[in-house]
Amino acid sequence: MAPRTDVVVIGGGHNGLVAAAYLAKAGRAVTLLEAAPEVGGILRTTSPAEGVTAPGIAHTVGRLRASVVKDLQLSSYGFEAITPAVRMFAPQPDGSAVTFWGDPARTASELRDRSAHDADAFGGFDAKMRSIASFLAYINVATPPDAKSPSIADAMMGLKLGKAFRDLGGKAGRETIRALPMAVADLVQEVFDDEAVRGPLTTRGVLYSSMGPWATGTAAIFLNDSAGTDGGAAGTTVFARGGTGALASALEAAARARGVDVRTGAEVVAIRSKDGRAQGVTLADGTELDAKLVVSAADPKRTLRLCDPVELNPYEVWRAENIRQPGATAKVNLVLSDLPSFNGADDVERLKGRIVVGTSIDHVEQAMDANKYGYVAEDPTLEATIPTLVDPSLAPEGKHVMSILFQAAPRKLRDSDWASERNGVADIAVKSMERFAPGLGELVEAREVITPEDLEADYGLTGGHVYHAEPGLDQFFAWRPLNGEARYRLQIEGLYLAGSGAHPGGGITGGPGANAARQILADTK
Amino acid sequence: MAKRYDAVVIGGGHNGLVNAAYLAKAGLKVLVLERRHILGGATLTEEIVPGFKFSVFSYVVSLLRPEIIRDLQLPKHGLEILPLDGTITPLDDDYLWRVNDHGKNVRELRRWSLNDAEVYEEYGQLMAEMGRFIKPILSIAPPDTGKITPGHWLPLGPLAKAFKDLPKKMQSTFIQLMTMSAADFLDQWFETEPLKATMSASGIIGTFQGPRSPGTAYVLLHHYMGEIDGAFRAWGVPRGGTGSVAYAIANSALSLGVEIRTEAGVSHIATAGGRTTGVVLESGEEIEADVVMSSLDSRQTFINLLDEHDLDPSFRDEVMRYKYRGSSGKVNLALNGLPELACKPGVGPWLRGAISFSPSLDYMERAYDDAKYGRPSARPYIDCIMPTLVDPTMAPPGKHVMSCFVQYAPYHLEDGEQWDDAKREAFGQNVIDTLEERFPNIRSLIEGYQFVTPKDIEDITGLSEGNIFAGELSLEQLFFNRPVPGWARYETPVKDLWMCGSATHPGGGIMGAPGMIAAREYLKQRKRGRRAA
Repeated sequence: MAPRTDVVVIGGGHNGLVAAAYLAKAGRAVTLLEAAPEVGGILRTTSPAEGVTAPGIAHTVGRLRASVVKDLQLSSYGFEAITPAVRMFAPQPDGSAVTFWGDPARTASELRDRSAHDADAFGGFDAKMRSIASFLAYINVATPPDAKSPSIADAMMGLKLGKAFRDLGGKAGRETIRALPMAVADLVQEVFDDEAVRGPLTTRGVLYSSMGPWATGTAAIFLNDSAGTDGGAAGTTVFARGGTGALASALEAAARARGVDVRTGAEVVAIRSKDGRAQGVTLADGTELDAKLVVSAADPKRTLRLCDPVELNPYEVWRAENIRQPGATAKVNLVLSDLPSFNGADDVERLKGRIVVGTSIDHVEQAMDANKYGYVAEDPTLEATIPTLVDPSLAPEGKHVMSILFQAAPRKLRDSDWASERNGVADIAVKSMERFAPGLGELVEAREVITPEDLEADYGLTGGHVYHAEPGLDQFFAWRPLNGEARYRLQIEGLYLAGSGAHPGGGITGGPGANAARQILADTK
Repeated sequence: MAKRYDAVVIGGGHNGLVNAAYLAKAGLKVLVLERRHILGGATLTEEIVPGFKFSVFSYVVSLLRPEIIRDLQLPKHGLEILPLDGTITPLDDDYLWRVNDHGKNVRELRRWSLNDAEVYEEYGQLMAEMGRFIKPILSIAPPDTGKITPGHWLPLGPLAKAFKDLPKKMQSTFIQLMTMSAADFLDQWFETEPLKATMSASGIIGTFQGPRSPGTAYVLLHHYMGEIDGAFRAWGVPRGGTGSVAYAIANSALSLGVEIRTEAGVSHIATAGGRTTGVVLESGEEIEADVVMSSLDSRQTFINLLDEHDLDPSFRDEVMRYKYRGSSGKVNLALNGLPELACKPGVGPWLRGAISFSPSLDYMERAYDDAKYGRPSARPYIDCIMPTLVDPTMAPPGKHVMSCFVQYAPYHLEDGEQWDDAKREAFGQNVIDTLEERFPNIRSLIEGYQFVTPKDIEDITGLSEGNIFAGELSLEQLFFNRPVPGWARYETPVKDLWMCGSATHPGGGIMGAPGMIAAREYLKQRKRGRRAA
């Protein structure tokens, strides 16, 4: 006689763990099933060399929702955030560099040597980003309305948003409406003159996406990245002590402490349902778990593929198959025998945040062009961190880890495959980073490439898309992942989506998990 | 002593004339001022090569609002639209030819893909329904998102309800159309490259975007919103060229008592105590009016025709950062015979419609990539029509005019270079080279030509940066953000100065809606003013 299970949660990534913990906190009997041998999803770490811990994918955790940290008492389960003073260091081809600090005034004063105009403009731009992002933060905690049959709750939510919107004031309100559908390139180009300032800022609008900075809607990605955080213009840079895996462990401990039965190595191969009602899941080993509620933190396409197509009608299957998941990001981890020195970094402080290679809008655009035609960018845009600078425990004495996000590296390659491109990605990453950090190549002791294909195979991300579904305006808010399916309920009665494919989308926020749990509890009082 | 009018309309393009006609219809004394010797603005027909009439810029008509045609009795004043049938997409050794005959299209598509042949009708019906749903938006004044004035938002009520009541399938389609790229949208339905590419073309015309740029799907709808004599999604050429649309409207306006003066360029808009008093012509002549209606774009109106101190600096900044970025050009050819397509030799009905150089989405996207970095497309998207096949009066007997819309031709060139004669020539010759790949005999037929770059569009029509829509139709510049966020209701911060051109909602194309709505909104306010007084 198996123990009673009210809820089965599929996927032990951060959103799955967050949803499970909240549901257990509310007294539900929750079983969480993770296919991999360990939980964490994109927080999982790897070990590219003896005694070295490197981030599998995500390397910063600054967007984690504060209420999640508080509600789940993550700090008491070993989560400790490290916040360096620097946010973003952007080396330039001419040997100089632009540093974006946590303190906008410091950034502005350093910009003065480059461009008085940009120095004057930075403070205002940062403030504008903060005010628009603060409005987005409201939207991100809300359950999207149902366009088909708006409920009283939706109306209340609408009023709350309406008030928040009014509080912005007329001008800021108009500015918000104008900015949201913009291209991030326009957002920064109309304010700043210096490409060295524009380029790095636009990378925030294309991170993990398959779009270039001239694409409509990339401004929303930029703004969302600062929503509910103190990101402002420069974005957040927060590390988890002990590596991203430490956050995963804290989330797991918090979930277990609330009674969640966490099972790893348990791959779900089917979501069982009858007459449009969820019945439970079937595992790869044939085990069947019964539960009235099935909460999937897997991506929406993968989730719906686990369902019986007969239970979904053909139109819904067609829609599900058309969810866009064009993964275009690869990960390169380098183990370095010593700390690399960067041009324009007089002080190691500058290297403790994100090191961004995106030297102009055109550079970022060109890097993303590669994705459209299915080849790996020869001059990619990179976001690197050196976690060992803020947490030496991650590598043996004196050694360092450089974690590099590489764009564009499309999941679907034209006239090639990932087996043959894998090493090329690492070569290109080192080569392009070396232009700014002379001698980097000689420091490399070991390297590791995680291709979009690996993201699909090892992390279960359909299309190799880290955000589960492209963060485009067509898969946003009330229509993420699909119009009419944005309220965490997914097609089948009792089936819920709690992963990044749901509102408010991807990134280490815990938002989808927390929102979904709240909605589930409301629906099943 | 300066002359006095109820309203002075700046610009004798189709919107300015429509606006003037509606104001006169309501009994106002109206004067239209056109800088050039000829009316039409971008709705222009000119005899560039002797004996050959070129529709210099805009070359087909579809969106012209039927109520305008009725209200202004345009057919009576000489408007006759000759329908164009079909689109052929020539390829290396094949072609895709679609006509206004469903059966034929399905048979044609079967050669390419059974799936595409099957969903083609479903797609067409869905898009036509979407077109009907969205049409009302084309005739309301957008609200100010910074205010909660009921008067602004009420007209949206029925639309919101209509949206809520839409079947989920159409609701989802509408959302996708507003947010997706043309390529992504079409990929859901079709697999035939020339079909997707040719359809996507309507999504990029006049914009600085590629078929894979989000936001381009919306414009696909425009193709399904066109009407001629109530026939949905029909396209046509006006007899006598596009210019005859302008002249039909002008004749209608004249019959309603409007005064029209050409070669009467406005040097600036006169203000006193924060309100508009009239205009001053380049000749120095002063003309007084209760209201000045500008059909020019917002940069021309506010930056060039007003003194800096007439405007609040923050408003001025909004105007300055408004995007134009012209992206298209024209090549007009005078031919002494009919060219033949290599892939479909001979002379036949396929030459009577549009001939679209759009073999694949990659071809279109690469054309855009060139433009992004400031280069005219090495291999541009070209949309050709030969109006002489439906309207022989456009050229001497036996001869023909070929009108080629070309994209991309960026206004802003690489490394800050400027357009000049050499660059124009190179641009045009490259277009002819591209044409030659499909029309091998075309060069031997050319008697004369006209190459039009975005710079030329700006110089001739005054459209800033040669943007044919008087302001880029990107999402953040539509509806309540058009022409300036917070000022989408045709009024401007300067009292008694109104906007009535393509720069305002619902935007560009030979539609006439901006001119009509602006007149309606002004007349409403004038009435209120009267009552108040």
